Amino acid sequence: MSDTHLDLLKSVAPDDARAVLALGSRRALPSGTVLFELGAPADHLYVIDRGRVNLTLPMQVFGHDEDILVEERVSGQTLGWSALIPPHRFTLKATTQIDTEVFVFGRAALLDHFAARPAVGYAVLGNVSATVGQRLQVFQAMWLREMKRVLQFSRGAGEAK
Amino acid sequence: MIMLLMGLALAMFGLAVTAAAFGAATRNEAKPEVRVQPRVEAVPERFFADPHRAFHQQPNVPLEVLLLQIEQHVRLEQAAAESFIHLPTSEALNCRTESPLVH
Repeated sequence: MSDTHLDLLKSVAPDDARAVLALGSRRALPSGTVLFELGAPADHLYVIDRGRVNLTLPMQVFGHDEDILVEERVSGQTLGWSALIPPHRFTLKATTQIDTEVFVFGRAALLDHFAARPAVGYAVLGNVSATVGQRLQVFQAMWLREMKRVLQFSRGAGEAK
Repeated sequence: MIMLLMGLALAMFGLAVTAAAFGAATRNEAKPEVRVQPRVEAVPERFFADPHRAFHQQPNVPLEVLLLQIEQHVRLEQAAAESFIHLPTSEALNCRTESPLVH
């Protein structure tokens, strides 16, 4: 496996990247496996080596809770960053969409490693920040698009009265 | 005399039948007032979905189909949002998608 395709290890020197990878373990997950549940304690960070993971939120549809796709994560991407950010609770549910392999990193092992090697910690947490920021920006834009439709709909409903 | 009375009676009867038939043909029947009740539908909580007409215009959409439509909508909206982040302009932010929930 090359570690250059992993978002988490961008701009990290190859030796340092290998040292970070050595902190994790590889886990094979069949399609449909729930990697973590909404609200569960977030003690592990995941990086997808191969496969695809659905991130969902429950939404009430016709009186039933249904898992609604919020985001898809693919090979090379990081998920479960709540492990590094208080209050360390998952805010989405993660389910493998196809057979998937992930690297699993314990929070304590990562933070100890970063404390001993601040430059690596700085680079890795910068990459995590990029992932968090990207989600924020995407959802800002999606929220605004939905707000626009709500206003259009409200105006249309008002004119129909 | 009897013949005259019979003829008169038949004529009166014929006149009555004709009048009744004419009245029936030209009567304006009072139609019962039709009250259109506004249709109240179960609408999901609004997050991604839906204030959109297309959603409401499809009666009895199976849940599985609806969930697939929502999934497709989210993917398209996410792609549109990512395009905006890549090149932030008002046009990119407000561009239309082919989402089945908004057409």
